[in-house]
Amino acid sequence: MELHSDQTIWYFFKKGEVNGFNLLFKKYYPQLHVYGLKLSNNQEITEDCLQNFFIQLYEDREKQTIINNLKAYLFVSFKRRLIKQLQKNQQNISISETQLFNHNFTFSAEEISIHQEIQFLCTSTLANLINNLSPRQKEVLYLKYYSGMKSSDIAEVMDMNYQSVLNVLQKALLKLRKESENQQIKNILKKS
Amino acid sequence: MNNKNNFDLQYFLSDASFENWAKGLNKNDIAYWNSWIKNNPEYFETVENAKSIITGINFNKKHLDNDKINEALSEILPKIGLDPLPKNKSNRTRAINSTLLTMSAALVLILISWTSYTYINNNSTTIHKTNFGEIIDLKLPDGTSVVLNGNSEISYKKDNPRLLNLKGEAYFKVKSIPSTNAKFWVITNDLKVEVLGTQFHVNTRKQKTNVVLDEGSIHLEFMNGEVTKMIPGEMVTFSKDSKKMTHKKVDIATPYALWRGDTYAFNEIPLKDVMTNLELTYGLEVQYTSNELKEIPISGGIPNQNLKICIAAIEKATGTRIINKNNILRVQENPIY
Repeated sequence: MELHSDQTIWYFFKKGEVNGFNLLFKKYYPQLHVYGLKLSNNQEITEDCLQNFFIQLYEDREKQTIINNLKAYLFVSFKRRLIKQLQKNQQNISISETQLFNHNFTFSAEEISIHQEIQFLCTSTLANLINNLSPRQKEVLYLKYYSGMKSSDIAEVMDMNYQSVLNVLQKALLKLRKESENQQIKNILKKS
Repeated sequence: MNNKNNFDLQYFLSDASFENWAKGLNKNDIAYWNSWIKNNPEYFETVENAKSIITGINFNKKHLDNDKINEALSEILPKIGLDPLPKNKSNRTRAINSTLLTMSAALVLILISWTSYTYINNNSTTIHKTNFGEIIDLKLPDGTSVVLNGNSEISYKKDNPRLLNLKGEAYFKVKSIPSTNAKFWVITNDLKVEVLGTQFHVNTRKQKTNVVLDEGSIHLEFMNGEVTKMIPGEMVTFSKDSKKMTHKKVDIATPYALWRGDTYAFNEIPLKDVMTNLELTYGLEVQYTSNELKEIPISGGIPNQNLKICIAAIEKATGTRIINKNNILRVQENPIY
């Protein structure tokens, strides 16, 4: 049973209670921290941005209308802020999101564990495969399986429609599955 | 099957029993979907894709160090003018404070191990009882979750854990058993709550029973024989003595049973009602120097895991001074305000 639902946390946060702020911060700071690092690959910028993000969120709390989905809202607005900051640092406002995040969302072998579906790949091969997917595919995989987001929330964060999220997931996982099957066949051929 | 066209990715992904099959969770679901796939081989590819999406990739999540989170938090709080810890204290007093804190924590632990207990008596009745100011999470044998507030008690017979008696205040998340439609009952002095699978809150303090329904649907059977149905978001209050029943809508966005977190939630509630809450959970007596003080409204969250912190928060929220002497709380005006 989740004792502090997002609804509860948001209610207290909006009231300006220190408790509400603490609850929101403790729940989402860690999640946004990892997300920011994966996006920017830069700890200093991520942490600076996060601090300013929470300050602004607090100061503007009364302007916020009802938020149905706190998690998606926080992810998407933090991402926007981070992009702005990165563009500023590059002194190039026109630089696109894809160019900015060209090398983002790289995963190490330690970050991945293997389960039955793709058991014929070792973690380093799997990490390699994931890292070679498109930035968009990687971000969707990250939001889905690392942050545990619902597909409908991912659609909101990525500014895509629901069906496209499913398509991206399907394509990315199909690629991994095919590779796993190839490896399985190779293993069998080796043995015989 | 007459609506074959609808078996797309989205259909499988939104089906809970399909998800169980993909994760290998529920025997019935596994058997059902295995045979379904055998009979519908044309959907094999879609099924495999849906399964891939459900099982996905297992990431080993990195956990940010708690110290780091707290450090970031204490850095940010002063910047927005929310500072819960008095910063102007010298290091020496702070050191003393922290020893005091560990001491009182140890004391609380000992107290809890003394007082919160579960016992089974000769008639094989299980009783869970909490002491003042203590909240426990329970899992009943049938899978139902119960959060029992301070100074409360539930009891049930071993052969029927789905029929229980409540004194005090509790929150229930009842596990539904669809195969047998087994009902769940909560009995208080005033009424009986009949449940299928749902989440609700019952409070029997102050010679009356309050029931708030969060999710699902329940029937109430009053001791006078009357029966009523509740819908989510409703609160029903009944007292056997006054034979008065009230039905009203409550704001679920202001969660009614919030004490089950570490916070009491109050929405424009007069101080006297807030203090009654404290009297009941901590076993205290409250006195006021003037009647006006009783009516000061409080909104927001008050931490409830520690009486001291709780009182400090109420003082701050109402601008009063509350003095605790031998478990009698004296509420008076604060000369500073």
